[in-house]
Amino acid sequence: MFLLQLRNELWKLFGKKRTYIGSAMFLLAQSILILFLKYGRGPSHGIARDMERNGFPVAHYLTNLTVACIALVPIAYFMLPLYASLVGGDLVAKEAEDGTLRMILSRPITRLRLLVLKWVAGVIFSFTLVVTLGLFGALFTGMFYPVTGGLFVVLPPEHIIGAFEGATAWERFIAVHVLMTAEACSMMSLAFMFSCFNVKPAAATILAISFFFISVIMNSLPYFQDWQEWFLVHHLYVWSNFFRDPVPWWKIGESLSILAGYNLTFFIIGAAVFQTRDIKS
Amino acid sequence: MIQLEHVQKLFGGLRAVEDLDLTVPQGEIFGLLGHNGAGKSTAIGMMLGQVWPTRGEIRICGFDVTTQRQRALQKVGAIFETPVFYDYLSGWRNLEILSHYSAPTSRERIREVVDWVGLTGREKSLLKTYSHGMRARLAIAQALLPQPQLLILDEPSDGLDPEGIHEMRQTILRLHREMGLTILLSSHLLNEVEQLCTRIAVMNRGRKVFEGDLAAISQPQNWVTLRVNDFSAATKCLREAALIIDERDGKAIALAPNIATDEVVRCLVKHGISVFAITPHEQSLEEFYLSLMKSGAPSGPTPGSPAN
Repeated sequence: MFLLQLRNELWKLFGKKRTYIGSAMFLLAQSILILFLKYGRGPSHGIARDMERNGFPVAHYLTNLTVACIALVPIAYFMLPLYASLVGGDLVAKEAEDGTLRMILSRPITRLRLLVLKWVAGVIFSFTLVVTLGLFGALFTGMFYPVTGGLFVVLPPEHIIGAFEGATAWERFIAVHVLMTAEACSMMSLAFMFSCFNVKPAAATILAISFFFISVIMNSLPYFQDWQEWFLVHHLYVWSNFFRDPVPWWKIGESLSILAGYNLTFFIIGAAVFQTRDIKS
Repeated sequence: MIQLEHVQKLFGGLRAVEDLDLTVPQGEIFGLLGHNGAGKSTAIGMMLGQVWPTRGEIRICGFDVTTQRQRALQKVGAIFETPVFYDYLSGWRNLEILSHYSAPTSRERIREVVDWVGLTGREKSLLKTYSHGMRARLAIAQALLPQPQLLILDEPSDGLDPEGIHEMRQTILRLHREMGLTILLSSHLLNEVEQLCTRIAVMNRGRKVFEGDLAAISQPQNWVTLRVNDFSAATKCLREAALIIDERDGKAIALAPNIATDEVVRCLVKHGISVFAITPHEQSLEEFYLSLMKSGAPSGPTPGSPAN
């Protein structure tokens, strides 16, 4: 029964044109970035310069994975939180706004079960989005760059410079994308929580994005250094740890635990608010 | 089937529903009347567990909605004003989605209900291609899927054209006749209520101001329409004979207790007044409703049980 209801939630989520317009914009942004990196004289020289400066041969490391990862960074840092918030903000509030929530809640389903279904559907969507992003990145860059060779990564905000070879390069690339689901999920859960309040879907998304930016600002201020470990944004980019060598498993575990705590808290607050709400036309 | 006891709902300082008692027995088509903001939709929301009552008890099919919502709504179907669906999905998929919130529903059952409402052939079309009438039929279909014993209809004819309203009315009667459903119909279309319901409750500013049998409302009262050649002379002699107690509008008289129309006619003829017509005056639901809204209490002799 749960799986049947979950399938229905996925039909609703993936049946909407709105869902695909967002995803299409996402892939378009990725394509534009990749094309700029390939044909823009400045960016392509910049990549080659970075590699040479760090002692990595350009011919070996300028591969599809390297360019896909370069394009991935701005998307993962800014666009993914934004888009995950858009989807999360819609999950409950859009149904309330459209009036379909009233139709659902005239049925003998508990509000908690409905929220669990919607949240799980949101998680599946987040995972699908990130996997699509990775797959598209690897395939699209494969049209312009060699698919064999190494993976070279520079992540200035995380102070990461890494280089990986052959199968390890692919493993890291896949692991990064799988772990990026945690980032998408956390932002989706944050917006989902606001979506459970008596607000419009756009308001839920704006609240989630505001929370995200406040978290980014506080995380960057030195005065909050002692509390940084508890900020959402501090753990949001846990995926970047897979570009470190060796992989800091304990740090990944710590960040995932804190993100799980955040997700659970967001869900509980959302469910508590939703449970006590009056659903009116 | 439906039992509300001392139900109150406050939205902040606003009293949406106040001390509402309501009983809808099995097999009845019960009308809930009242104009916009009277508290009908809030009352229905509370019956479906969508709105939490501030005070009072609501039992549906014998179960308390607040504490046993799932059991209470197991055999309940509901239709709301301007039915809303997932426009980007087909009618069939909408039915699947909505019915699975109650229980797993077989394709055969969906097919059967689609046939019953007359949507066969269009069930696989996208909802956005449906007319208002087809949406209304789909709304009935989704309400029927869990094989309900009770149907709650909140302004089901809202937004429909006259033909659609007629069709909806016929469908409600069919549902009652063929399936023996108990139906709660909330509406401000008095004509619709008059044609469908056996019993009504009227709400005004959150309070129930009347509950009773519809037949009793339209029962002839002591008012009689009189067409004569000289109305003022007629009323004068009828008053002198103590046959009437009141008159109005130059055409209606209120008979004194235990006085029949034949005595009135005899008296008038005796005084040389020509009588062209004398007919008992039946109070329409509209007249009754408007008098309730004006006074907050029913006019004339109150049929059925009085409101609290």
